[in-house]
Formats: sequence, structure tokens, C-alpha cells
Amino acid sequence: MKIRFLLVFLLCASINLQAQQLNVGIRLQKTQQMYWENGISSQYSFANFKPNRLFVGFDFVTSRLGTAMGSNALKQDSYIFSGSWYFFKNKPYHLIGRLNTGYLKTDLENDIFDELPSSAFLLAPELGLTYSPEKLPIALNLGLGYYLSMQEENKSPGTLQPLYYHLTLYYKLFNQEK
Amino acid sequence: MKALLKIVSVCLPILLIVACNATPDITDEMLDGDVIFDPSLYAPEEYLVSAKYPTPTQEDLKKHVLIAAHGYSSTTFEWQEFVQWSADSSYRISSVLLDGHGRTYEDFRASKWEDWRAAIVREFELLEDLGYTKISLVGSSTGGALLLELMQSGYFDSHIKPNNIFLVDPIVAPTNKLQSIANLIGPMMVYLEVDQSAEEDKFWYHFRPHETVSELNKVIQKVRKGLEKGIRVPSGTYVKSFHSKGDPTASTTSTVLIYKGLEHSDGSKIDVQLMNSDIHVFTRLKLRPSVSPLELSNQLDAFTQMAKRLN
Repeated sequence: MKIRFLLVFLLCASINLQAQQLNVGIRLQKTQQMYWENGISSQYSFANFKPNRLFVGFDFVTSRLGTAMGSNALKQDSYIFSGSWYFFKNKPYHLIGRLNTGYLKTDLENDIFDELPSSAFLLAPELGLTYSPEKLPIALNLGLGYYLSMQEENKSPGTLQPLYYHLTLYYKLFNQEK
Repeated sequence: MKALLKIVSVCLPILLIVACNATPDITDEMLDGDVIFDPSLYAPEEYLVSAKYPTPTQEDLKKHVLIAAHGYSSTTFEWQEFVQWSADSSYRISSVLLDGHGRTYEDFRASKWEDWRAAIVREFELLEDLGYTKISLVGSSTGGALLLELMQSGYFDSHIKPNNIFLVDPIVAPTNKLQSIANLIGPMMVYLEVDQSAEEDKFWYHFRPHETVSELNKVIQKVRKGLEKGIRVPSGTYVKSFHSKGDPTASTTSTVLIYKGLEHSDGSKIDVQLMNSDIHVFTRLKLRPSVSPLELSNQLDAFTQMAKRLN
């Protein structure tokens, strides 16, 4: 499953390898009434199609780097692909509309729980704000998203709760202005 | 964008005012009203061992007592089937009514989770003071979370250790995804209305104030964080969690979290049994729209296992 997602991402990226902007960074995420799940984030804007307005991205967040670190919390990993639209062109700050989709896998660890739900498909609209100082190669992104129920609620892990917020700090690997 | 913000700024306060003024349509046929109350409030001696035997004999004190705690918004009705099933047994059952429950909607609305827990503690300490030495506990749904909280807080460090603690569909993570944001949207919703039969309306609140959902969230979050750090079972206490595989209210992940976070003093794990069931609190079958042979068998299985450890 992980490999399938990575292949899809690489396929998307290969549509136009000439990037206008490529951001990579770290993401800190908290789910309301549930875990801290932290990880990595990347965003990519095409040079020839809505540069610096439309971004596609891939995020990986895990409770292993959050609440589950050194605790009994469940280890769960989320692989998230996103499309974002940046409003307010040519400004250091942007309002962002984002749609995320992906896959969550929770490690229930013991065989006795094999029959219980341990994974879920993810779909989450998100609103965000980003600030990018003109003279620095960084961007700070705040997002508030909501996982929509993609299946019956008792068929997904109880550790998947809907409302989450995240803070992502990006480093602009390159920003090729046209 | 400016126009949109203007519309939102005008409409939101109106929406909030309308929502906050909403009052539930409570009838006299509902537990929520001021006509129907839990019967244990009128005749505690029929529900509590401490009230029925205020001056126990030595023979009484040799008996094993099980304190049964019901779940959020429920009443003593939830454990009545086990009480009736155990009629000829050697053990006795104290079916406690959680404080704030079984009374009016306003009483329920004003209650905190600590009040819910107080009823369990009160009966436990009364029995302890009377001289009982064999006490066990069972909690369904939120009752289970409250028992976990008692272990988490170290309550039993300064009291006699329970012989057994049974958990039935305990809630640590909700199945209903909206529950986790009740603290945020609750003031706008004021209360939740539950789709249940007219007969069930006499034993469960029909309207559930958002304040009580927030209290429920507080206690399950406290317990979940405790389990993340690890909760030690009182020495000598046997613990078992039974959980419906398709529980529509308390996610089965709750029992996974309990299994991971709860351990005996020797490091061993508690017992867990997953039931082939899609109902919440599978031990209560009365007033269900229909009851399958499998559900009857699940109930009997849990009752028999508990009774075996109480006899």
C-alpha cells in the first residue's frame, strides 16, 4: 500500500519535472482529543501550470514521532497526498484551500486484535494560512482540517478522530521565478 | 471575500443565539422530566447491599459483593438483567446509580464526571467500612472508564483491593467521530437528541446536554492519557475487558488501548475477550428491538464468567 502511494506521487510529479517551487519541511500535527502525530511534508508547484498558486504535496505523519514516543499510545502512520490552492498572489502571506487524501495504518500489535479495524482511507478538506518572508527561503504554514468519514464509524480505528490542526515549517529547496 | 466575511459575521451571532435558546421538548414519559426517576432513589435497599444490610452478620460479610456501575446517561436498569440472573447465587450485587443520573435533565446537565464516580466510591467505602473484604466491580461503557480512572488515580492504594474488575464495552475512544469535537460545537448544539424507543426513554436520557458530553470527553481523555503512561492494576485484582467487535458507541480500539496501558504488578497483561456483536453494552438485551441467539449467548457467556469468579 505504501509503495502504491509513492508510485502515484512519483507519477504526479513526473507530469512536469520542471518545478517552479519545491518546499520540504517538518510537520507537527495534533488531533482534537487524540494524538500528536509529527513527520515530514513536501510541496511542489509546477512551472507551466498555475505556478505558486497550485501545489501538490505529500505528507507523512506518525504518532511514533509524537504521542507514541516512549508511551503506550498506538503507533499509527498517515500517508497523505494533497492539492492546495494559494490565494492572494504576490503577497508574503496566503490563505490556503487544501484537499487531502491518503491512508492511515494503525499498529494494534497483538494477534488477538487482528479482526479489529486498523486502517482507514482519509479524505480531509483543510483551510490554512501560510507566511513566507520575502528574503528568507522558508515558509510557515498553519492548517485546520477535518477527516470526513469514508466508512462506517465502527469500521475505522477509534484513534482516527476528525478534527486536526498542524504547523508546518518549510524550507524552499528552490524557487524558480519565471 | 469581504462580502462572504460580512455574511458570516452577521449570521453567526444569530445562529448562536437561536441555538443557545433551544430547549428540549421533555415530556413526562421521559427520564429527563420530573415525573420518572430511577427506582433506586426511592428504594435504595433494593439496589445497594450497604442499604439492605446496614448491620451485616458475620455470614453476610463472608459474601462476595459486586458493585455494578452503568454507563453515561443510563440508569440501574442497565445491570438489572445480571441482578435477576444472579438471584440464586451466593454473591450479592450493589447496582449503583451514578450521581447526576436517573434524575431530571437539569440535574444531569449540572453533573460532573467526578459526581458520576462518587456513587461508586461511596458504595465501595460503605461496604469496606461495614467489614466486607470480598468486593468486585463491573462497569459498562462510561462505568468502565470510571473504574479505570479509579485505578489510575491510585484510589485502591489506600483501600482494600478489589478481587475482580470487569469492563464491558468500556469507552476510552468513541466510535462516534463527532464526540471528540463536542467541546467545540456543543454550545451551538445545546443537546443531543437520541433516537430510542419510548420505553427506553424511561431508562436513558432522551436529551443529552452538551455539558455532559464534554464531561464524558474529559474523563475518557484523562483515562486515555493515563493508559499512555501506564496504569497499574491493584495487586491481586483480576481484570477482564469484554468488548463488542462492532460497538457503535465505544470504539473497540478502547480495549486495545486498555490492553496496552493496563498491567498487573508482575508485568502480565489483563484478559480480553472480543464478542461477535454489534451492540453497545452487549450484556443488556432488554428493550432491544430484536435479540439474536448469538447475542443471548454472548450475554450468558459474560454473566457465567463473572459469576464463576464471584462464587
